[in-house]
Amino acid sequence: MQRYLVAPRDWIASLGDIAKFAARDFGEVFGLRVFRFFGEALRQAGVLILGSTMVIWSLAFILGLQCGIEGAYFNRSVGAPAYAGVFSAWCDLREIMPYAFGYMMSAKVGTGLVAEIGAMRITDEIDALEVMGISSMTFLCATRLLASFMVLPFMYLAAVGAGFFASYLAVVQQIGEVSSGGFFLIFWMFQNPPDLLYSLIKGMAMATVIVIVGTYYGYTAGGGPVGVGTATAKSMVLNTVMVHLVGMLGTQIFWGANPRAPIGG
Amino acid sequence: MVRAIADRAFLPSKNLLEQVGDMMILTGKTVMSALRPPYPYGGEFVNQFLFALRLCWFPLVISMVAVDYGAPGLQAGNFLVLFGAIDRLGGFFVLATIREFAPAVTAIIVAGVAGTAITADLGARKIREELDALQVLGVDPVKNLVVPRFLALMILTGLFDMFAIIAGLSGGVITSLKFHAPLGEFFATLLTNASTTDLWGSVVKCTMFGAIVAIVCCYKGMTASGGAEGVGRAVNQAVVIATTGVFAFNYVFTQTLLATHPEISVIK
Repeated sequence: MQRYLVAPRDWIASLGDIAKFAARDFGEVFGLRVFRFFGEALRQAGVLILGSTMVIWSLAFILGLQCGIEGAYFNRSVGAPAYAGVFSAWCDLREIMPYAFGYMMSAKVGTGLVAEIGAMRITDEIDALEVMGISSMTFLCATRLLASFMVLPFMYLAAVGAGFFASYLAVVQQIGEVSSGGFFLIFWMFQNPPDLLYSLIKGMAMATVIVIVGTYYGYTAGGGPVGVGTATAKSMVLNTVMVHLVGMLGTQIFWGANPRAPIGG
Repeated sequence: MVRAIADRAFLPSKNLLEQVGDMMILTGKTVMSALRPPYPYGGEFVNQFLFALRLCWFPLVISMVAVDYGAPGLQAGNFLVLFGAIDRLGGFFVLATIREFAPAVTAIIVAGVAGTAITADLGARKIREELDALQVLGVDPVKNLVVPRFLALMILTGLFDMFAIIAGLSGGVITSLKFHAPLGEFFATLLTNASTTDLWGSVVKCTMFGAIVAIVCCYKGMTASGGAEGVGRAVNQAVVIATTGVFAFNYVFTQTLLATHPEISVIK
């Protein structure tokens, strides 16, 4: 019996550690102590923009194409090819774009953070920072969280745009059973600004979790070069599960009781 | 000046194309040395298979139930409730779960859980020069390390697809119960609309995803360099390339399947 309890107990313990770490991290950011290192936060924002934008947008584009063809074929099969816009609008905005963003954030940004900060931990650079009198938590973790808050909403909105464009290409240009005017009439009819806001909240919740998990595993890495690799792998496990759970909770909270569709009275 | 700009634009893409080419070569080598005798990789294959199975099953089940309760369940369910046609939810789950989400989520989980572990493992061996030592001893790293991982991940991902479908359908069952719809109708429309083509398409797709993930992760692990940061960076690049590759392949495969088998998208 004891043997089977070891793994769950470890998970709960590390979840508690991550929660404590997250609380400290948020305290640094919202306690405005991070603004002492605002320059570093801006630099991290630049790194995020130059390093990750294209990859995230390209995954959003590919999944937008996927939504488009599935929508076109599904609506053809129910005998309403002109309504492919309904499927694309809901699939892109509400579900697939947050997931695409979460997948690529955890793959590119989350593991990148672990590799970077973990290497600093292994080579004792973090201890060196502390010796110099700089709070490593503020300088390394809080600046990255602030940078992601500054950059990611815009990156997310542009990723949604990339997905919409890809769906348009797939439905109108590739399959070609609906005119572009007919597609966009239905497409915009079935979504409104609050939907975009909810979708953004979903994406940002995923991004916050991913940055926290990434910095936590990097900050607590140990055990030589192998330890960094193992920590990177572990952060990816937690991130993939958390992305799906946040996605489900977001759908349940924002659209669970109210479909927000212009149908019926 | 022009030279600098051209270098900045073209060198990364040249680098990427070279890597893709190297991965193709590694795929060819792996398949060849898997088929050509002798076959020393049996024990390692079983080890890797069980290792990946132990790591992946729990994240897979949780993720699949969560995704299918949220995306196709709640969204499509809400839409169908508006038309009073919640009994058609099962038919939609053929498209959503069997054709799309089960293979995609399985690939993400396998890449994120087993793939990263493989890259970290091989990368650590590369950094500690164990791979070079193996070659000096006359042991072929491709045959003894890559082939068992490739086969294990490929077969495991294909088999996991079944479990992902079952977990996803249980997400659909939870949704049906949430809308107070009888389960008989869910399963009736599900089984009427499901076809053998859908199922083999899903399994073949998922197996190919496993192959892509295995090759990318093994390649990145075996070419890791640069000390402590190198292994972490290898894992990072491996998941990015594996995710993008999997979804790019998904688009091509789904489009081909839908276009060549029009009967699977007929609603019955």
